[in-house]
Amino acid sequence: MRNPAPVRNLSGTRRVARSLVVAGVSRPRRERFLSRYNNFWGWLFLTPVVLGLSLWVAFPLGLSLFTSFASWDLITAPVFVGFKNYIDMFVTDPLFWQSVVVTLYYTVAGVSLQVVLAFLAAILLNTRVRGVKVFRTVFYLPSLVPVIVSSALWMWLYNPQFGLFNVLLTSLGLPPQKWVFGIQTVVPSLILMSIWGIGNIIIVFLAGLQDIPKELTEAVAIDGGSAFHRFRHIILPFMTPTILYNVVIGIIGGFQTFTQPYIMTNGGPANASLFYVLHLYRQAFMFAKMGYASAMAWFVFIVTGVVSIIIFKTSSWWVFYQGETKK
Amino acid sequence: MKRLPVILASVLIALAIASPLAADNVKLTFVYWGSVNEDTAMKEAFKAFEAANPGITVEPMYIQGDISGTEYAAKLRAMAQTNTLPDLGYFRPDQFGEFAAAGYMMDLTDLVQKEGLTRDYLPQAWLKVKGRIFGAYTAAECQVMFYNKDVLKKAGVPVPPSDYRKAWTWDQFVKYCVQITTDANGKHPGDAGFDANRITTYGVSYQLWHAMLTPPLWSGGGGIVSPDGRKVLIDSPESIDVIQKIADLINKQKVMPYTNPSSTSQAGLPTPPVMLANGQLGFYITGQWELLDIAKMSFPMGIGALPIIKKPAQMYISGASVIFKSTKFPKEAWLLHKWLMTPDKTLNLYTSGLWMPTKASWYNDPADLKKWTDNAVHPAEFKTAVLDSMKIAEPIPEVRVKNYTQIINECVNPQLDKVWLGEISAAEALKKAGDLIRQQNLMQGTW
Repeated sequence: MRNPAPVRNLSGTRRVARSLVVAGVSRPRRERFLSRYNNFWGWLFLTPVVLGLSLWVAFPLGLSLFTSFASWDLITAPVFVGFKNYIDMFVTDPLFWQSVVVTLYYTVAGVSLQVVLAFLAAILLNTRVRGVKVFRTVFYLPSLVPVIVSSALWMWLYNPQFGLFNVLLTSLGLPPQKWVFGIQTVVPSLILMSIWGIGNIIIVFLAGLQDIPKELTEAVAIDGGSAFHRFRHIILPFMTPTILYNVVIGIIGGFQTFTQPYIMTNGGPANASLFYVLHLYRQAFMFAKMGYASAMAWFVFIVTGVVSIIIFKTSSWWVFYQGETKK
Repeated sequence: MKRLPVILASVLIALAIASPLAADNVKLTFVYWGSVNEDTAMKEAFKAFEAANPGITVEPMYIQGDISGTEYAAKLRAMAQTNTLPDLGYFRPDQFGEFAAAGYMMDLTDLVQKEGLTRDYLPQAWLKVKGRIFGAYTAAECQVMFYNKDVLKKAGVPVPPSDYRKAWTWDQFVKYCVQITTDANGKHPGDAGFDANRITTYGVSYQLWHAMLTPPLWSGGGGIVSPDGRKVLIDSPESIDVIQKIADLINKQKVMPYTNPSSTSQAGLPTPPVMLANGQLGFYITGQWELLDIAKMSFPMGIGALPIIKKPAQMYISGASVIFKSTKFPKEAWLLHKWLMTPDKTLNLYTSGLWMPTKASWYNDPADLKKWTDNAVHPAEFKTAVLDSMKIAEPIPEVRVKNYTQIINECVNPQLDKVWLGEISAAEALKKAGDLIRQQNLMQGTW
């Protein structure tokens, strides 16, 4: 404070603080004023986020909860119907359970395959071989392709008459398949397609693998352990947090699958790919049953929450965090 | 200097308030969907309308739709809810009744009657709810059978009759399809050693979505639901027979490639028009609007009368055009509505093969006919095979029957999928479809 800078050379809070000193305001009052002043600016800078969240997230969330207890077609006034929408879901809608089964089938089979294969691919891509960077790029590239484009591409591959897959099968003397056009084959076909795009999961695994301390794997090698020992006792335990992350994210994504069936199959054939969210979308935007669709949305929201909690609670049995000591 | 922004803001606000008052200009907002081609034609029509009606400007609201129209319908529903509907425009036909009954459309009955328009237009063109006119079909569209003359000639098949009343019977049609269908070794279905997995030329491809099934269903004496929306017809013996006949083309006679009607995208490459142009397909039964694309492909194309199962049948399908009741300018909106119902104003949409007009004289008056069919797009037989068949065309039930979209999407289509796949018989599937409709109590009459 020996040589206080002139007020005009300062900015923001310091300028205000200096002005208060110059004006001879006592220290406690100065501090009270400054804290209020800072709070004001703090809140002002927060408003875009707070406003955005409340207008575009909290308000619609609340409205959809309200709507889920109403019958509303958007063009006439909503009618309060209590729990009817929730009861209809389990009792009268013949396609609700179908959509649940399809979604669970895709999620359980898809996520386990994706995680296992991505893990294996990541291990291979973590080895020191020539051209590993090229391989990494090749595996990652498909996940950069927009879903619309990859869906169109796979429709060609899956074409029952002229598609590449059937050409390959017939040239090997195997019977051609209906792929996404067959009742039994549509979900496996969608899973196959999703595996093509696991680049993102591979990246996460790869990052996890590179975090494993080298001295541990080297110690196993020195003690005469095999590659299996290295995997079983070092790599796998160290990777459990990454596996947990990928499983949870995968399940949440699986529950919300929409784009591929919407573009490729429209739920068909015979509702064999009627995913939960596609069914919800039809109720809302095709049949204008906003109340019922909102109830379906809240149901899947709650289920996703419960499943995530269960996975996290049970994760302590199998997930190992670095620096943690086993009790 | 500090005052400058304040002054500027005040001027802007003043201008904003004053502008609608200053000019006695009527601004109409017209909402529509369609291809880029249609968008251009519409915008030209608006310009011509503005030139002919000084003081009225038209603001185009072009919503590039998805195939099923779900997004478009959802947007208009949201606009209805927030009181921001445009003045007039296109409307999804399957939701027309619901909106008209809820009071969102302007009643055009008196205007149409006062100006004596009923006899100028096709009788099907006016869209009514409870006897009152609340809109009109934007155009006239129907089902046609395209063929590749070279493919037929190569197979020794005669060209189909062009009079819609004297078309082939179903059995004749199937026989010719078998004759056209060829595998890689030049064998036909029924020949010893015919390989159904290596077919190079197919006899026919049918579009299988619900509208495309109505003409054959009606031709066979069946239907999906009764026009009064009270009775399920899809599980009647007549309907079952027709659906089984079409499914047999795929699974029994092997003359039709399997297509997935519930897919929103084409079932991969190549699409039926491409197959037709490539000589991989003899007949293609689809909407007449595909003429727009097919006419541009270079192959000897012809149009034949639809095969008759029991009696000739045709459907009338199109989008709807309405004036919304909330418009501030009903008089001017009616002028624009009528303008767009005059085919001269958007002639390109008719000459290109996309639409057929709703104006009656354009079907029989030689001068009017010449305006839109005398060109390279429309083959000579278009008049007798297609235009004349519009005399017997019935509007498809979607505009009037309640819950039609849900009946089709949740009850009928998934069952039909199994029939096209050859997993179950039409009888089994359609009985299930009928049960599903009744179980959910979806037959609620008409709007």
